[in-house]
Amino acid sequence: MVGGGVIQQILRRKLHSPSLATPVRSWLSSKTAHVDAGSSGVRAFALLGAGVTGLLSFSTVASADEAEHGLACPDYPWPHDGILSSYDHASIRRGHQVYQQVCASCHSMSLISYRDLVGVAYTEEEAKAMAAEIEVVDGPNDEGEMFTRPGKLSDRLPQPYANESAARFANGGAYPPDLSLITKARHNGQNYVFALLTGYRDPPAGISIREGLHYNPYFPGGAIAMPKMLNDEAVEYEDGVPATEAQMGKDVVSFLSWAAEPEMEERKLMGFKWIFLLSLALLQAAYYRRLKWSVLKSRKLVLDVVN
Amino acid sequence: MRFGEIELQHLGFIHHLAISQRRLRSFLSNFTMADVEVVDPKKCLEESCKPKCVKPLLEYQACVKRVQGDESGHKHCTGQYFDYWQCVDKCVGPKLFAELK
Repeated sequence: MVGGGVIQQILRRKLHSPSLATPVRSWLSSKTAHVDAGSSGVRAFALLGAGVTGLLSFSTVASADEAEHGLACPDYPWPHDGILSSYDHASIRRGHQVYQQVCASCHSMSLISYRDLVGVAYTEEEAKAMAAEIEVVDGPNDEGEMFTRPGKLSDRLPQPYANESAARFANGGAYPPDLSLITKARHNGQNYVFALLTGYRDPPAGISIREGLHYNPYFPGGAIAMPKMLNDEAVEYEDGVPATEAQMGKDVVSFLSWAAEPEMEERKLMGFKWIFLLSLALLQAAYYRRLKWSVLKSRKLVLDVVN
Repeated sequence: MRFGEIELQHLGFIHHLAISQRRLRSFLSNFTMADVEVVDPKKCLEESCKPKCVKPLLEYQACVKRVQGDESGHKHCTGQYFDYWQCVDKCVGPKLFAELK
C-alpha cells in the first residue's frame, strides 16, 4: 500500500517535469484528432493513474493468495524415502489401527481389501479375524433375497456412509474424501497430510472462522470442516509405543502411503536392478558402436592435386 | 597389587554410579503407563525452535497490535503468521522423526 503511494508520487513529479511533458503531449496529439493543450497532460496523468491502481489491486489480490494456497508444508524425512528404502511395516500396522479407531467413522478406504493387509501389517489369521468383525451385504441367495454375512479377506474395508450425499449430510455439507489414494491425490501428499493432521492451530489475528469449520493453515483457504482428530493417547498401541499426536500422524501417513502405493517396494527393487543392467548394456552398446564405426572414422583421404 | 589412592577413588565412583543406576531403575519402575505424562515431541520441538524464529514472531506480534484497533474487519495477519510458522516448520522438520518410533 505504502509502496504504491510512493510510486504515484514519483510518477506525479516526473509528469510535471518539463522533460516528460512534451513527448507525452506530442504522442497524444498524434493519436487523437482534437487535442486541448491543457487536457493532454491530465489525460496522460489519468492513464498513468489507472496503471498504478491496477498495480495496487494486483498486490492486494496477491496477498490473499497466501491463505488460498495454504501454508507450504515442510519436508519430513520419511523412513521409506530412499531409493532402496522399504516401508516401516510396524508403522503401517499402527497406522491402520489409528485409521480404524479414529478415521474410519467418517472416511472410507474403498479400494483396500482385507487381503491386501496380509503380509504387510497383519498375519492371515489376524486379517481374517478383523474381516469377520464386519457385516457385509451379499446375495442374492437361492430365494432371490439379499442377506448379510460376516466379512471375508476378499471384502473391501467397510464404508461409513452409504453414498456421498449421506456423507455430506452427516458432516455439514462437507464430504470426507476416500483415503485410498489421498497421498497421491494431493500435492506433496505425505508431507501435506502429516502437516494437516498435526497442524491445527489458533487462527492469526483478524481471521475468524465460522461456526462448524476449523482453522488449519495448511488447508487451502484455511477453513477446514474436519476438527482436530489426533489427540495425545487417543489410541492405545498394541506394541506399547506412546501414542502422541506426532506419532499417530506419522503412523497413519505411513499407512496411507502404503495404501496409495503398495507396489513401492517392488518398484524400487525393480528400478534399481534394471537401471543397473541397462547402464551396463549402454556401456556395451557404446563400445560396439564405436568398434563398428572405427573403420570409417579412421579413414584417410588423400588429395591428389596433380592434374 | 596395591591400590593407590586414585584407583580407590575411581572404584568408589563406579560403585556410587552402580548404586545410583539401581535407584534410578527402581524409581522409574514405580511409574505405570498411566502415570507417565506423554509429551508430544512436535509441540516440544516447536517450543525449542521459537528462539530461532524471533524475528518473524516479533513481526507477527507487531501486526497483531496494528490489527487490534481495526474496525473494518478486513485487516489480518496471515502473512506474518505464515512467515513465522514456515520458519518454525523448517526448523522442526528435519528433527521431528528422530524423536518418534
